[in-house]
Amino acid sequence: MRIAFVGQPNAGKSTIFNGLAGYKTITANFPGQTVHYTVSKVTVGDETFEIVDLPGIYSLTAIDKAELESRKYILSGQTDVVVNVIDASTLSRSLELTLQLTELQVPMVICLNMIDEARRKGMEIDLNKLSKIFGVPVIETVANKGIGLDKIFISAKEAHYKRLIPKIQSFHKDIEEKIEEIEKIIPKENFLKIPKRYIAVKLLEGDEELTEEIKKYPEVLNKVREIREEIKSSHGRHTDTVISSERHALTMNIFEAVTKIGEPLKSTREKIDDLLTNRYLGYPLLFLILFGIFFVVFEIGKLIEDPLISIFDSFIQQLPGIVKEDSLTFFILKGLLEGFSGGLGVAIPYLIPFFIGLTILEDIGYLPRMAFLMDTLMHRIGLHGKSVLPFIISYGCNVPGVMATRILESPRDRFITATLSVLIPCAARTTVIFGLVGAYIGGIAAAGLYIFNLFVIMILGAILTKFIPEIRPGLIMEIPPLRIPTFKNVLMKTWLRLKDFILVAWPLLIISSIILSFLEYFKIDAMINLAFSPLVSWILGLPEQTGLTLLFGILRKELSMIMLFQAMDTTDLSKVMTNTQLIIFTIFTIFYIPCIGTIGALIRELGTKKTLIVSILTILLAIILSLIIRILLSIFG
Amino acid sequence: MKTLLNIDNGKKVKILKISGGKGIRQHLQCLGIHIGDIVTIKKSSFLGGPVLLEVNGYDVALGKGVASRIEVEEVE
Repeated sequence: MRIAFVGQPNAGKSTIFNGLAGYKTITANFPGQTVHYTVSKVTVGDETFEIVDLPGIYSLTAIDKAELESRKYILSGQTDVVVNVIDASTLSRSLELTLQLTELQVPMVICLNMIDEARRKGMEIDLNKLSKIFGVPVIETVANKGIGLDKIFISAKEAHYKRLIPKIQSFHKDIEEKIEEIEKIIPKENFLKIPKRYIAVKLLEGDEELTEEIKKYPEVLNKVREIREEIKSSHGRHTDTVISSERHALTMNIFEAVTKIGEPLKSTREKIDDLLTNRYLGYPLLFLILFGIFFVVFEIGKLIEDPLISIFDSFIQQLPGIVKEDSLTFFILKGLLEGFSGGLGVAIPYLIPFFIGLTILEDIGYLPRMAFLMDTLMHRIGLHGKSVLPFIISYGCNVPGVMATRILESPRDRFITATLSVLIPCAARTTVIFGLVGAYIGGIAAAGLYIFNLFVIMILGAILTKFIPEIRPGLIMEIPPLRIPTFKNVLMKTWLRLKDFILVAWPLLIISSIILSFLEYFKIDAMINLAFSPLVSWILGLPEQTGLTLLFGILRKELSMIMLFQAMDTTDLSKVMTNTQLIIFTIFTIFYIPCIGTIGALIRELGTKKTLIVSILTILLAIILSLIIRILLSIFG
Repeated sequence: MKTLLNIDNGKKVKILKISGGKGIRQHLQCLGIHIGDIVTIKKSSFLGGPVLLEVNGYDVALGKGVASRIEVEEVE
C-alpha cells in the first residue's frame, strides 16, 4: 500500500515521515524545507507500506518548483491513500488545501499535527465533527514528540480497505452549475486518472499547466474562456478570486463548526519572538548569534583537532622505521594515513559543532526570522529575504544550499541566489580557512576572510541585478512560531548530515590522497604542476607544487589543504609559505570553481549552460580577487 | 487610499483590494490572505523593510513591494 503525505509547508510532514521511517529526510522549522520527495518502506505487522514524503504545497495551484513536484506526484495516481498533514494551529488556512484534495477522490486520512500548539493558542478542535464532514478518519498527532504516530497506519488501512473517499464540499449553486458545464465537455481520452471536477475547477481558476494541455481542444478552451468571462461579469471579480473566495468561505464555515476558540496562553515565546525580530535589537542579536556559532565551532574544533592531528603526525613520522622509505608501499601508506587524518582530524572536529548549531537554529525557527530581518539588505542585491535560507545552508554545504533555491518563485531569483550561494564558504572551505589562515595567522584574519567574502557576494549580487533586473514584487512568506528543538531530532539530523560526509567525502579524500602519493612516486606531479605554473606562480605568486592541490580541490575543497601538507612535504606550512601566500591560496580556494558535488546540483537546478557560466565566472572571480589581494598585501602587508 | 505600508504596529485592518497580477493574488490566497479578511499588523515596515502580519492566528511576512499593493482600512 502506498501512502503519500501531503500538506502545507512546515506542517510537519517530514517529522512524521522520519518518525515512521527512521531518519531519512532533513526537517526544519522553515516553510518549504523538503525540496524533493523521499520514499521509504515500512513493515508493520505483516503489511508493508510504502510511504512518500512530498514537498509542502499551499494549494494544488503550484507556485514554486517544489510545489509543482508535489502536485505532479499526487496527480500521477500512484498513491493508494493520501494522508493530509495539517498544522492544527493554522487549521482555517490548511483546510483550503484539504478541500482541493477532496476533489482528487483518493482515500484520505486527515492528520491534525502539532495539536499541542493549537491548544496553546486556545483552540479546541472537534475531531468527530471534522471526520463526519469529510467522511474520512481524522487523527491527532504531536510528531516531534512521537505522539499519535501509531494511529497513522491504522487509519490509512481503514481508509484504504473501506475506500473512504472524501466528500466533496459544494460551492454556491451558480458556481457549481458552471463547473458542471465544463465537466460535461472535458475530453475523456486525455485525463483518465484525474477526476473531471478537479480539472473543471482548475480550468476555471486559470491553471497554467492544465490550460496548456486543453489547448489541443480549441472548442473546450473557448467554452472555458466564455464561462470565465460570465463569472467575472456577474461577480465583478476575476474568476480565480471568486473560486478562492468560495473556498475560503467554505473553510471558514467548516473551521467555525469544528473549532472552539478559548483564551490563548500568553507565552514567553511571544516575547522572545518580539525581541528576535525587533527593528533595532534584532540586528545585533542576529550578529551575536551567528558570531557566537562561528566562535564556538572554531574553539571546539581546535580543541579536538590538535590532539588528533598530533597522533597521526607521530604515526607518519614513525613510518620510515617500519616500511622502507622511497618504496611504493611507503607512499601508499603515507597517502592513506594523510587522507584518513585529513577527514578525521581536520574536517570532522569543525563539522560536528557546525551541524549542531545549524540544526538548532533551523529547529527553533530562527531562519525565517533572519529572512525577515535581512529582507531590506537582500533587496540591495536584487533578491528578497527568502534567499537567506539557501545562503545559510550553504555555510554547511553548497549542495543542499543550491537545492534550497527551489523555494524561490522566479527562475531569475533562483539563478542569482544559486550563483551567489556557491561562493559561500561551506564547511569544507571553512576547514581550509581555519586550518590555514586561522591556524597560522590568527582568528581575526580568518574572520576577516568571512567578511571579505560577504562583501564580494554583495557587490557581485548588485552587479548581477544590474544585468538581470528584478521583476517580482518580493517577499511573501509565512513565519512559523518558535519551537523548542528536541534533543533527539538535533542529534539525528546532525548524524544524517555527517553521514553524507563520512560515506561520500571521506573515502574521496583518502583515495585522492593515495592517488597524489602515486603521482609523487612516479614523478607525474611535477609535470602537472609545470602545466599550471603560469597561473599558480606568476599570477597567484604561490609555490609551484600547489598547482596539483588546487586541481584536486575541485573534487572536495578541503582536499586542497590536506594535499598541500603532502605536496609541500611538511606539517608546518609556515616554514615553507609566507602569510601572503597562505591568504592567497585560501582566497583562491574559496572562490574558484564549485566542487564536483555542487556542479552536479547546479546542473540539476539551472541546466548545463548556466552551470558553465557560473563555473567560468567563479574562476575569473577567483583570479581577479587573488590578484587584487596580492597587490594590496604587497603594498600594505 | 491607505496600504499596508501606512499602518502602525498593533492596528487591525480589513483588506479592501489587492492590485497586481494573478501571481501575487494566488500566492497571497494560498497563505490565507483574501479580500475582506481582517489582519493585525505585528511589525510595521521600518526603513523599507517587510511588514509582519497576523492572519487567523499565524504570522506572514510581506516585503515592501507586496505590502504597497494591498489596500486596507483600519477597523475598530
